[in-house]
Amino acid sequence: MTSATASAPAERTSADPVALVTEYFGRAIHSLSSWTGELAGALHEAGGRGAVTTEVLDDLVEPYARRTFDSLDLPVYGAGFIAALDWLSDARSHLAWWQGADRAKLVLASQSVNKELIDYSELEWYRVPQSSGAPHVAGPYVDYLCSDEYTITVAAPVELDGQFVGVAGLDLLIDQVERDLLPRLSAFGSDVSIVNGVGRLLLSTSARRETGDSIRGSSLEGFERGACPGMALEVLTAR
Amino acid sequence: MTESSSLRTASPRSAPHADRADRAENDRVSSATRSGRPTRLHRAVFQPIGDAGRAALVERRIADAITAGVLPSGERLPAETELARSFGVAPATAREALLALRERGLIVTRRGRNGGSFVSDDADPTAFALRALAETSRVALRDLAAHYLAITNACVELAARRADPSEIAAIRTRLDRVRDDEVAAWRRVTDDTQIELAALSQSARLTREQMRLQGELSPFFALVDTDAHARLANRAALLALLDAVAEGDEARAGSIIRHKIHRCVDWLIDLRESPTASHSERTSP
Repeated sequence: MTSATASAPAERTSADPVALVTEYFGRAIHSLSSWTGELAGALHEAGGRGAVTTEVLDDLVEPYARRTFDSLDLPVYGAGFIAALDWLSDARSHLAWWQGADRAKLVLASQSVNKELIDYSELEWYRVPQSSGAPHVAGPYVDYLCSDEYTITVAAPVELDGQFVGVAGLDLLIDQVERDLLPRLSAFGSDVSIVNGVGRLLLSTSARRETGDSIRGSSLEGFERGACPGMALEVLTAR
Repeated sequence: MTESSSLRTASPRSAPHADRADRAENDRVSSATRSGRPTRLHRAVFQPIGDAGRAALVERRIADAITAGVLPSGERLPAETELARSFGVAPATAREALLALRERGLIVTRRGRNGGSFVSDDADPTAFALRALAETSRVALRDLAAHYLAITNACVELAARRADPSEIAAIRTRLDRVRDDEVAAWRRVTDDTQIELAALSQSARLTREQMRLQGELSPFFALVDTDAHARLANRAALLALLDAVAEGDEARAGSIIRHKIHRCVDWLIDLRESPTASHSERTSP
Protein backbone atom coordinates (compact mmCIF):
# COMPACT_ATOMS: atom_id res chain seq x y z
CA MET A 1 0.00 0.00 0.00
CA THR A 2 2.80 2.36 0.87
CA SER A 3 4.61 1.56 -2.36
CA ALA A 4 1.65 2.36 -4.57
CA THR A 5 0.88 5.72 -3.05
CA ALA A 6 4.51 6.70 -2.66
CA SER A 7 5.50 5.88 -6.21
CA ALA A 8 2.40 6.78 -8.19
CA PRO A 9 3.28 10.47 -8.60
CA ALA A 10 6.81 9.65 -9.73
CA GLU A 11 5.69 7.65 -12.73
CA ARG A 12 3.47 10.42 -14.03
CA THR A 13 6.43 12.72 -14.17
CA SER A 14 9.06 10.31 -15.51
CA ALA A 15 11.51 12.45 -17.40
CA ASP A 16 12.92 9.64 -19.54
CA PRO A 17 12.08 6.02 -20.43
CA VAL A 18 14.72 4.64 -18.06
CA ALA A 19 13.06 6.42 -15.14
CA LEU A 20 9.64 5.18 -16.27
CA VAL A 21 10.74 1.53 -16.48
CA THR A 22 12.76 1.68 -13.27
CA GLU A 23 9.85 3.19 -11.35
CA TYR A 24 7.39 0.64 -12.78
CA PHE A 25 9.30 -2.52 -11.82
CA GLY A 26 10.73 -0.77 -8.76
CA ARG A 27 7.18 -0.69 -7.37
CA ALA A 28 7.16 -4.49 -7.38
CA ILE A 29 10.56 -4.72 -5.69
CA HIS A 30 9.51 -2.15 -3.10
CA SER A 31 6.27 -4.01 -2.38
CA LEU A 32 8.05 -7.35 -1.83
CA SER A 33 10.74 -5.77 0.29
CA SER A 34 8.03 -4.28 2.49
CA TRP A 35 7.12 -7.74 3.81
CA THR A 36 10.15 -10.02 3.49
CA GLY A 37 11.47 -8.87 6.87
CA GLU A 38 8.13 -9.37 8.60
CA LEU A 39 7.76 -12.82 7.04
CA ALA A 40 11.25 -13.80 8.18
CA GLY A 41 10.26 -12.79 11.72
CA ALA A 42 7.08 -14.87 11.53
CA LEU A 43 9.03 -17.85 10.20
CA HIS A 44 11.52 -17.47 13.03
CA GLU A 45 8.71 -17.54 15.60
CA ALA A 46 7.04 -20.51 13.92
CA GLY A 47 10.38 -22.34 13.95
CA GLY A 48 10.60 -21.74 17.69
CA ARG A 49 7.21 -23.39 18.19
CA GLY A 50 8.15 -26.52 16.21
CA ALA A 51 8.99 -27.74 12.72
CA VAL A 52 7.88 -25.47 9.87
CA THR A 53 5.65 -27.53 7.58
CA THR A 54 4.11 -26.63 4.21
CA GLU A 55 0.79 -26.03 5.97
CA VAL A 56 2.33 -23.66 8.53
CA LEU A 57 4.12 -21.86 5.72
CA ASP A 58 0.97 -21.48 3.60
CA ASP A 59 -0.89 -19.93 6.53
CA LEU A 60 1.92 -17.48 7.23
CA VAL A 61 2.41 -16.41 3.61
CA GLU A 62 -1.21 -16.06 2.52
CA PRO A 63 -1.90 -12.64 4.12
CA TYR A 64 1.24 -11.19 2.47
CA ALA A 65 0.25 -12.64 -0.90
CA ARG A 66 -3.24 -11.12 -0.55
CA ARG A 67 -1.74 -7.80 0.46
CA THR A 68 0.44 -7.88 -2.66
CA PHE A 69 -2.64 -8.34 -4.86
CA ASP A 70 -4.71 -5.74 -3.06
CA SER A 71 -2.32 -2.90 -2.44
CA LEU A 72 0.11 -2.86 -5.33
CA ASP A 73 -0.64 -0.62 -8.30
CA LEU A 74 0.50 -3.24 -10.84
CA PRO A 75 -1.36 -6.01 -12.73
CA VAL A 76 -0.22 -8.73 -10.31
CA TYR A 77 -1.09 -12.19 -11.66
CA GLY A 78 0.46 -14.32 -8.93
CA ALA A 79 2.17 -13.80 -5.58
CA GLY A 80 3.64 -15.76 -2.71
CA PHE A 81 6.77 -17.34 -1.35
CA ILE A 82 8.90 -20.20 -2.64
CA ALA A 83 10.77 -22.15 0.01
CA ALA A 84 14.48 -22.94 -0.26
CA LEU A 85 15.10 -26.59 -1.10
CA ASP A 86 15.24 -28.92 1.92
CA TRP A 87 14.27 -26.15 4.32
CA LEU A 88 10.74 -27.29 5.23
CA SER A 89 10.29 -30.26 7.55
CA ASP A 90 7.78 -32.17 5.42
CA ALA A 91 8.67 -31.46 1.78
CA ARG A 92 11.79 -31.01 -0.30
CA SER A 93 10.33 -28.03 -2.13
CA HIS A 94 7.18 -25.96 -1.91
CA LEU A 95 5.48 -23.00 -3.49
CA ALA A 96 3.12 -21.07 -1.22
CA TRP A 97 1.59 -19.35 -4.22
CA TRP A 98 -1.72 -17.76 -5.22
CA GLN A 99 -2.59 -16.77 -8.76
CA GLY A 100 -5.14 -15.94 -11.42
CA ALA A 101 -8.36 -13.95 -11.40
CA ASP A 102 -9.68 -15.88 -8.40
CA ARG A 103 -6.27 -15.89 -6.66
CA ALA A 104 -6.45 -19.65 -6.29
CA LYS A 105 -3.83 -21.55 -4.33
CA LEU A 106 -1.40 -23.26 -6.69
CA VAL A 107 -1.44 -27.04 -6.39
CA LEU A 108 1.23 -28.57 -8.59
CA ALA A 109 0.42 -32.26 -8.12
CA SER A 110 -2.87 -32.05 -9.98
CA GLN A 111 -1.37 -30.91 -13.27
CA SER A 112 -0.71 -32.92 -16.42
CA VAL A 113 3.04 -33.07 -16.09
CA ASN A 114 4.04 -33.61 -12.49
CA LYS A 115 5.38 -30.16 -11.78
CA GLU A 116 6.28 -31.15 -8.24
CA LEU A 117 9.28 -32.88 -9.75
CA ILE A 118 10.48 -29.76 -11.51
CA ASP A 119 13.60 -28.52 -9.75
CA TYR A 120 13.17 -24.77 -9.43
CA SER A 121 16.53 -24.14 -7.80
CA GLU A 122 18.10 -23.27 -11.14
CA LEU A 123 15.33 -21.08 -12.46
CA GLU A 124 16.30 -17.42 -12.80
CA TRP A 125 13.80 -16.04 -10.26
CA TYR A 126 15.16 -18.35 -7.58
CA ARG A 127 18.83 -18.67 -8.51
CA VAL A 128 19.65 -14.97 -8.91
CA PRO A 129 18.18 -13.64 -5.61
CA GLN A 130 19.71 -16.64 -3.83
CA SER A 131 23.20 -15.96 -5.11
CA SER A 132 23.11 -12.15 -5.10
CA GLY A 133 21.09 -11.65 -1.91
CA ALA A 134 19.22 -8.87 -3.72
CA PRO A 135 15.82 -8.56 -5.44
CA HIS A 136 15.69 -9.46 -9.13
CA VAL A 137 13.42 -8.85 -12.12
CA ALA A 138 13.45 -12.21 -13.96
CA GLY A 139 12.23 -12.79 -17.49
CA PRO A 140 10.45 -12.37 -19.75
CA TYR A 141 10.11 -16.17 -19.85
CA VAL A 142 7.44 -18.80 -20.35
CA ASP A 143 6.57 -19.74 -16.79
CA TYR A 144 5.68 -23.42 -17.12
CA LEU A 145 5.64 -23.89 -13.36
CA CYS A 146 3.02 -21.38 -12.20
CA SER A 147 1.23 -19.06 -14.62
CA ASP A 148 1.76 -21.09 -17.85
CA GLU A 149 2.02 -17.70 -19.51
CA TYR A 150 4.71 -15.34 -20.81
CA THR A 151 5.75 -13.79 -17.55
CA ILE A 152 8.01 -11.45 -15.59
CA THR A 153 8.72 -12.64 -12.06
CA VAL A 154 9.99 -10.15 -9.52
CA ALA A 155 11.63 -11.96 -6.61
CA ALA A 156 13.31 -10.92 -3.36
CA PRO A 157 15.37 -13.18 -1.11
CA VAL A 158 14.18 -13.99 2.41
CA GLU A 159 16.86 -14.65 5.00
CA LEU A 160 16.59 -16.01 8.49
CA ASP A 161 19.62 -15.52 10.76
CA GLY A 162 21.75 -15.02 7.66
CA GLN A 163 20.48 -18.20 6.03
CA PHE A 164 18.61 -18.10 2.71
CA VAL A 165 15.18 -19.69 3.26
CA GLY A 166 13.42 -18.81 0.01
CA VAL A 167 12.17 -16.01 -2.21
CA ALA A 168 9.14 -13.77 -2.00
CA GLY A 169 7.81 -13.17 -5.47
CA LEU A 170 5.13 -11.82 -7.73
CA ASP A 171 4.25 -12.51 -11.36
CA LEU A 172 3.31 -9.97 -14.00
CA LEU A 173 2.04 -11.24 -17.36
CA ILE A 174 3.77 -9.61 -20.34
CA ASP A 175 0.35 -9.26 -21.93
CA GLN A 176 -0.72 -6.95 -19.12
CA VAL A 177 2.61 -5.18 -18.81
CA GLU A 178 2.33 -4.33 -22.51
CA ARG A 179 -1.14 -2.82 -22.06
CA ASP A 180 0.07 -0.91 -19.04
CA LEU A 181 3.45 0.33 -20.08
CA LEU A 182 3.41 0.63 -23.86
CA PRO A 183 1.20 3.75 -24.06
CA ARG A 184 3.44 5.55 -21.56
CA LEU A 185 6.65 4.35 -23.20
CA SER A 186 5.39 5.60 -26.57
CA ALA A 187 5.70 9.16 -25.30
CA PHE A 188 9.47 8.76 -25.57
CA GLY A 189 9.69 7.72 -29.21
CA SER A 190 8.63 5.29 -31.91
CA ASP A 191 11.51 2.84 -31.44
CA VAL A 192 12.10 2.47 -27.71
CA SER A 193 12.57 -1.06 -26.39
CA ILE A 194 13.03 -2.74 -23.02
CA VAL A 195 15.45 -5.70 -23.01
CA ASN A 196 16.64 -7.94 -20.19
CA GLY A 197 20.12 -9.12 -19.22
CA VAL A 198 20.43 -11.53 -22.16
CA GLY A 199 19.10 -9.00 -24.67
CA ARG A 200 15.60 -10.46 -24.82
CA LEU A 201 12.94 -7.99 -25.83
CA LEU A 202 10.25 -7.38 -23.23
CA LEU A 203 8.37 -4.84 -25.29
CA SER A 204 9.01 -2.17 -27.86
CA THR A 205 7.20 0.92 -29.07
CA SER A 206 8.10 -0.25 -32.58
CA ALA A 207 5.43 -2.62 -33.88
CA ARG A 208 8.06 -4.40 -36.00
CA ARG A 209 10.07 -5.56 -33.01
CA GLU A 210 8.74 -8.81 -31.62
CA THR A 211 8.57 -9.54 -27.89
CA GLY A 212 10.73 -12.60 -27.19
CA ASP A 213 13.23 -11.85 -29.96
CA SER A 214 16.72 -10.83 -29.00
CA ILE A 215 18.79 -7.73 -29.62
CA ARG A 216 22.39 -8.77 -29.05
CA GLY A 217 25.90 -8.31 -30.33
CA SER A 218 26.31 -6.11 -33.38
CA SER A 219 22.58 -5.34 -33.63
CA LEU A 220 22.99 -3.26 -30.46
CA GLU A 221 25.05 -0.69 -32.35
CA GLY A 222 22.10 1.30 -33.62
CA PHE A 223 20.83 2.09 -30.13
CA GLU A 224 21.44 4.45 -27.31
CA ARG A 225 21.48 2.23 -24.20
CA GLY A 226 20.23 3.13 -20.74
CA ALA A 227 20.59 0.69 -17.84
CA CYS A 228 17.83 0.62 -15.20
CA PRO A 229 19.49 0.84 -11.78
CA GLY A 230 18.79 -2.04 -9.40
CA MET A 231 17.43 -4.40 -12.06
CA ALA A 232 18.82 -6.27 -15.04
CA LEU A 233 16.83 -4.27 -17.58
CA GLU A 234 17.98 -1.86 -20.25
CA VAL A 235 16.13 0.65 -22.38
CA LEU A 236 17.27 0.77 -26.01
CA THR A 237 16.41 3.89 -28.00
CA ALA A 238 17.06 3.78 -31.74
CA ARG A 239 19.51 6.46 -32.83
CA MET B 1 -16.64 -45.48 -17.66
CA THR B 2 -14.66 -48.69 -17.94
CA GLU B 3 -11.02 -48.79 -17.10
CA SER B 4 -9.79 -49.46 -20.61
CA SER B 5 -11.87 -46.78 -22.28
CA SER B 6 -10.35 -44.08 -20.14
CA LEU B 7 -6.81 -45.36 -20.48
CA ARG B 8 -4.59 -42.90 -22.24
CA THR B 9 -4.63 -44.14 -25.79
CA ALA B 10 -4.39 -42.23 -28.99
CA SER B 11 -7.16 -44.16 -30.71
CA PRO B 12 -10.15 -42.00 -31.53
CA ARG B 13 -12.73 -44.58 -30.44
CA SER B 14 -15.76 -42.37 -30.41
CA ALA B 15 -14.97 -40.44 -33.58
CA PRO B 16 -17.77 -41.85 -35.82
CA HIS B 17 -20.43 -40.85 -33.32
CA ALA B 18 -18.89 -37.48 -32.75
CA ASP B 19 -18.87 -36.89 -36.50
CA ARG B 20 -22.55 -37.66 -36.83
CA ALA B 21 -23.30 -35.36 -33.93
CA ASP B 22 -21.23 -32.64 -35.57
CA ARG B 23 -23.11 -32.97 -38.83
CA ALA B 24 -26.45 -32.74 -37.09
CA GLU B 25 -25.24 -29.73 -35.14
CA ASN B 26 -23.86 -28.18 -38.29
CA ASP B 27 -27.17 -28.51 -40.14
CA ARG B 28 -29.02 -26.86 -37.34
CA VAL B 29 -26.52 -24.04 -37.03
CA SER B 30 -26.25 -23.38 -40.75
CA SER B 31 -29.99 -23.00 -41.13
CA ALA B 32 -29.82 -20.38 -38.43
CA THR B 33 -27.00 -18.34 -39.91
CA ARG B 34 -27.92 -15.39 -42.06
CA SER B 35 -24.65 -15.09 -43.93
CA GLY B 36 -25.42 -18.43 -45.59
CA ARG B 37 -22.15 -20.22 -45.49
CA PRO B 38 -20.95 -21.45 -42.11
CA THR B 39 -17.21 -21.94 -42.05
CA ARG B 40 -15.50 -24.91 -40.43
CA LEU B 41 -14.53 -22.69 -37.51
CA HIS B 42 -18.11 -21.57 -37.17
CA ARG B 43 -19.14 -25.19 -36.74
CA ALA B 44 -16.54 -25.66 -34.01
CA VAL B 45 -18.16 -22.96 -31.91
CA PHE B 46 -21.34 -24.97 -31.48
CA GLN B 47 -19.76 -28.37 -30.94
CA PRO B 48 -21.12 -30.25 -27.96
CA ILE B 49 -19.05 -29.65 -24.87
CA GLY B 50 -19.45 -33.30 -23.99
CA ASP B 51 -21.74 -35.06 -21.64
CA ALA B 52 -18.98 -36.40 -19.44
CA GLY B 53 -19.53 -34.72 -16.10
CA ARG B 54 -17.01 -32.70 -14.22
CA ALA B 55 -16.33 -35.58 -11.83
CA ALA B 56 -15.46 -37.76 -14.83
CA LEU B 57 -13.06 -35.09 -16.09
CA VAL B 58 -11.32 -34.91 -12.72
CA GLU B 59 -11.26 -38.70 -12.62
CA ARG B 60 -9.71 -38.90 -16.06
CA ARG B 61 -7.06 -36.29 -15.33
CA ILE B 62 -5.89 -38.22 -12.27
CA ALA B 63 -6.24 -41.61 -13.95
CA ASP B 64 -4.13 -40.39 -16.86
CA ALA B 65 -1.45 -39.16 -14.47
CA ILE B 66 -1.41 -42.52 -12.67
CA THR B 67 -1.27 -44.65 -15.82
CA ALA B 68 1.46 -42.40 -17.20
CA GLY B 69 3.51 -42.78 -14.02
CA VAL B 70 3.35 -39.04 -13.35
CA LEU B 71 1.75 -39.97 -10.04
CA PRO B 72 3.74 -43.07 -9.02
CA SER B 73 2.44 -45.85 -6.80
CA GLY B 74 2.45 -44.91 -3.14
CA GLU B 75 2.16 -41.19 -3.84
CA ARG B 76 -0.32 -39.37 -1.68
CA LEU B 77 -2.99 -37.36 -3.47
CA PRO B 78 -3.91 -33.91 -2.16
CA ALA B 79 -6.81 -33.90 0.31
CA GLU B 80 -10.33 -33.74 -1.07
CA THR B 81 -10.81 -30.04 -0.32
CA GLU B 82 -7.44 -29.17 -1.80
CA LEU B 83 -8.19 -31.22 -4.92
CA ALA B 84 -11.54 -29.48 -5.26
CA ARG B 85 -9.87 -26.07 -4.97
CA SER B 86 -7.12 -26.80 -7.46
CA PHE B 87 -9.50 -28.26 -10.08
CA GLY B 88 -12.03 -25.52 -9.41
CA VAL B 89 -14.85 -27.98 -8.66
CA ALA B 90 -17.14 -28.57 -5.69
CA PRO B 91 -15.82 -30.84 -2.91
CA ALA B 92 -18.62 -33.31 -3.68
CA THR B 93 -17.35 -33.55 -7.26
CA ALA B 94 -13.80 -34.28 -6.10
CA ARG B 95 -15.18 -36.91 -3.72
CA GLU B 96 -17.10 -38.57 -6.56
CA ALA B 97 -13.94 -38.68 -8.70
CA LEU B 98 -11.91 -40.21 -5.87
CA LEU B 99 -14.62 -42.80 -5.32
CA ALA B 100 -14.52 -43.80 -9.00
CA LEU B 101 -10.70 -44.03 -8.92
CA ARG B 102 -10.96 -46.24 -5.84
CA GLU B 103 -13.46 -48.51 -7.58
CA ARG B 104 -11.07 -48.85 -10.50
CA GLY B 105 -8.32 -49.91 -8.11
CA LEU B 106 -6.08 -46.98 -9.10
CA ILE B 107 -6.04 -45.48 -5.60
CA VAL B 108 -6.49 -46.77 -2.07
CA THR B 109 -7.75 -44.82 0.91
CA ARG B 110 -6.28 -45.22 4.37
CA ARG B 111 -7.90 -43.97 7.53
CA GLY B 112 -6.22 -42.44 10.53
CA ARG B 113 -3.72 -39.74 11.26
CA ASN B 114 -1.47 -40.48 8.33
CA GLY B 115 -4.43 -41.40 6.18
CA GLY B 116 -5.55 -40.09 2.84
CA SER B 117 -5.74 -41.28 -0.77
CA PHE B 118 -2.66 -42.96 -2.20
CA VAL B 119 -1.83 -44.26 -5.66
CA SER B 120 -2.31 -48.03 -5.55
CA ASP B 121 0.72 -50.28 -5.22
CA ASP B 122 -0.29 -52.21 -8.36
CA ALA B 123 -0.21 -49.10 -10.52
CA ASP B 124 2.65 -50.07 -12.84
CA PRO B 125 3.26 -47.48 -15.58
CA THR B 126 5.07 -49.97 -17.83
CA ALA B 127 2.10 -52.35 -17.81
CA PHE B 128 -0.28 -49.45 -18.48
CA ALA B 129 1.92 -48.17 -21.31
CA LEU B 130 2.21 -51.62 -22.92
CA ARG B 131 -1.53 -52.04 -22.81
CA ALA B 132 -2.13 -48.55 -24.21
CA LEU B 133 0.38 -49.27 -26.99
CA ALA B 134 -1.33 -52.55 -27.86
CA GLU B 135 -4.67 -50.73 -28.05
CA THR B 136 -3.40 -47.90 -30.24
CA SER B 137 -3.54 -48.43 -33.98
CA ARG B 138 -0.53 -47.78 -36.19
CA VAL B 139 -2.29 -44.88 -37.84
CA ALA B 140 -3.12 -43.29 -34.50
CA LEU B 141 0.48 -43.68 -33.32
CA ARG B 142 1.84 -42.12 -36.51
CA ASP B 143 -0.67 -39.29 -36.17
CA LEU B 144 0.31 -38.67 -32.56
CA ALA B 145 3.95 -38.59 -33.64
CA ALA B 146 3.12 -36.14 -36.46
CA HIS B 147 1.44 -33.80 -33.98
CA TYR B 148 4.32 -34.11 -31.52
CA LEU B 149 6.84 -33.47 -34.29
CA ALA B 150 5.00 -30.38 -35.53
CA ILE B 151 4.97 -28.80 -32.09
CA THR B 152 8.48 -29.88 -31.07
CA ASN B 153 9.91 -28.74 -34.38
CA ALA B 154 8.26 -25.32 -34.10
CA CYS B 155 9.61 -24.99 -30.55
CA VAL B 156 13.20 -25.89 -31.33
CA GLU B 157 13.29 -23.68 -34.42
CA LEU B 158 12.09 -20.67 -32.46
CA ALA B 159 14.43 -21.55 -29.59
CA ALA B 160 17.34 -21.70 -32.04
CA ARG B 161 16.49 -18.14 -33.07
CA ARG B 162 15.85 -16.78 -29.61
CA ALA B 163 17.79 -18.66 -26.94
CA ASP B 164 20.98 -17.30 -25.47
CA PRO B 165 23.81 -19.89 -25.52
CA SER B 166 24.07 -19.55 -21.72
CA GLU B 167 20.50 -20.83 -21.42
CA ILE B 168 21.32 -23.92 -23.45
CA ALA B 169 24.48 -24.45 -21.39
CA ALA B 170 22.33 -24.51 -18.21
CA ILE B 171 20.11 -27.25 -19.67
CA ARG B 172 23.19 -29.14 -20.79
CA THR B 173 24.65 -29.04 -17.25
CA ARG B 174 21.47 -30.57 -15.81
CA LEU B 175 21.45 -33.25 -18.49
CA ASP B 176 25.10 -34.14 -17.88
CA ARG B 177 24.35 -34.78 -14.23
CA VAL B 178 22.09 -37.74 -15.01
CA ARG B 179 23.49 -41.02 -16.36
CA ASP B 180 21.30 -42.61 -19.00
CA ASP B 181 21.30 -45.96 -17.19
CA GLU B 182 19.36 -44.42 -14.29
CA VAL B 183 16.27 -45.01 -16.38
CA ALA B 184 13.58 -43.16 -14.36
CA ALA B 185 15.77 -40.12 -13.73
CA TRP B 186 16.83 -40.09 -17.37
CA ARG B 187 13.21 -40.11 -18.53
CA ARG B 188 12.43 -37.17 -16.25
CA VAL B 189 15.40 -35.08 -17.30
CA THR B 190 14.63 -35.80 -20.96
CA ASP B 191 11.02 -34.62 -20.54
CA ASP B 192 12.25 -31.54 -18.66
CA THR B 193 14.78 -30.75 -21.39
CA GLN B 194 12.11 -30.90 -24.06
CA ILE B 195 9.85 -28.59 -22.04
CA GLU B 196 12.66 -26.15 -21.33
CA LEU B 197 13.56 -26.05 -25.01
CA ALA B 198 9.89 -25.31 -25.70
CA ALA B 199 9.94 -22.50 -23.13
CA LEU B 200 13.00 -21.02 -24.85
CA SER B 201 10.81 -20.51 -27.92
CA GLN B 202 9.27 -17.71 -25.77
CA SER B 203 5.85 -18.95 -26.90
CA ALA B 204 3.46 -19.75 -24.05
CA ARG B 205 1.02 -21.51 -26.38
CA LEU B 206 3.66 -23.77 -27.89
CA THR B 207 5.07 -24.53 -24.43
CA ARG B 208 1.66 -25.50 -23.06
CA GLU B 209 1.08 -27.76 -26.06
CA GLN B 210 4.53 -29.30 -25.70
CA MET B 211 3.80 -30.03 -22.03
CA ARG B 212 0.51 -31.67 -22.87
CA LEU B 213 2.01 -33.81 -25.62
CA GLN B 214 5.08 -34.64 -23.55
CA GLY B 215 2.74 -35.91 -20.82
CA GLU B 216 0.85 -37.97 -23.37
CA LEU B 217 3.93 -39.48 -25.03
CA SER B 218 6.24 -39.85 -22.06
CA PRO B 219 4.87 -43.30 -21.06
CA PHE B 220 5.59 -44.51 -24.61
CA PHE B 221 9.06 -42.94 -24.60
CA ALA B 222 9.65 -44.74 -21.28
CA LEU B 223 9.10 -48.03 -23.13
CA VAL B 224 11.74 -47.01 -25.69
CA ASP B 225 14.07 -46.17 -22.79
CA THR B 226 14.07 -49.82 -21.68
CA ASP B 227 16.26 -50.53 -24.74
CA ALA B 228 19.80 -49.44 -23.82
CA HIS B 229 20.77 -49.06 -27.46
CA ALA B 230 17.81 -46.79 -28.24
CA ARG B 231 18.47 -44.81 -25.08
CA LEU B 232 22.06 -44.11 -26.11
CA ALA B 233 20.95 -43.02 -29.58
CA ASN B 234 18.37 -40.71 -28.03
CA ARG B 235 20.90 -39.21 -25.65
CA ALA B 236 23.26 -38.50 -28.53
CA ALA B 237 20.41 -36.93 -30.51
CA LEU B 238 19.37 -34.73 -27.59
CA LEU B 239 22.92 -33.45 -27.10
CA ALA B 240 23.25 -32.77 -30.82
CA LEU B 241 19.92 -30.94 -30.70
CA LEU B 242 21.12 -28.69 -27.87
CA ASP B 243 24.28 -27.90 -29.84
CA ALA B 244 22.26 -26.99 -32.93
CA VAL B 245 19.93 -24.72 -30.89
CA ALA B 246 22.90 -23.06 -29.14
CA GLU B 247 24.47 -22.38 -32.53
CA GLY B 248 21.22 -20.95 -33.83
CA ASP B 249 21.02 -23.59 -36.58
CA GLU B 250 17.25 -23.94 -37.07
CA ALA B 251 17.49 -26.36 -40.01
CA ARG B 252 19.84 -28.77 -38.26
CA ALA B 253 17.76 -28.68 -35.05
CA GLY B 254 14.63 -29.53 -37.06
CA SER B 255 16.31 -32.38 -38.88
CA ILE B 256 17.65 -33.91 -35.64
CA ILE B 257 14.27 -33.84 -33.95
CA ARG B 258 12.55 -35.33 -37.03
CA HIS B 259 14.93 -38.30 -37.13
CA LYS B 260 14.74 -38.83 -33.38
CA ILE B 261 10.94 -38.98 -33.35
CA HIS B 262 10.72 -41.24 -36.40
CA ARG B 263 13.18 -43.64 -34.80
CA CYS B 264 11.16 -43.77 -31.57
CA VAL B 265 7.86 -44.39 -33.35
CA ASP B 266 9.36 -47.13 -35.53
CA TRP B 267 10.69 -48.74 -32.35
CA LEU B 268 7.25 -48.53 -30.69
CA ILE B 269 5.47 -50.00 -33.70
CA ASP B 270 7.97 -52.88 -33.75
CA LEU B 271 7.30 -53.50 -30.06
CA ARG B 272 3.56 -53.27 -30.58
CA GLU B 273 3.72 -55.95 -33.22
CA SER B 274 6.13 -58.23 -31.38
CA PRO B 275 4.69 -61.37 -29.72
CA THR B 276 5.35 -60.08 -26.18
CA ALA B 277 3.30 -56.95 -26.67
CA SER B 278 0.29 -58.74 -28.15
CA HIS B 279 0.49 -61.18 -25.27
CA SER B 280 0.06 -58.34 -22.82
CA GLU B 281 -2.99 -57.23 -24.77
CA ARG B 282 -4.59 -60.67 -24.52
CA THR B 283 -4.03 -60.92 -20.78
CA SER B 284 -5.38 -57.47 -20.03
CA PRO B 285 -8.88 -57.37 -18.54
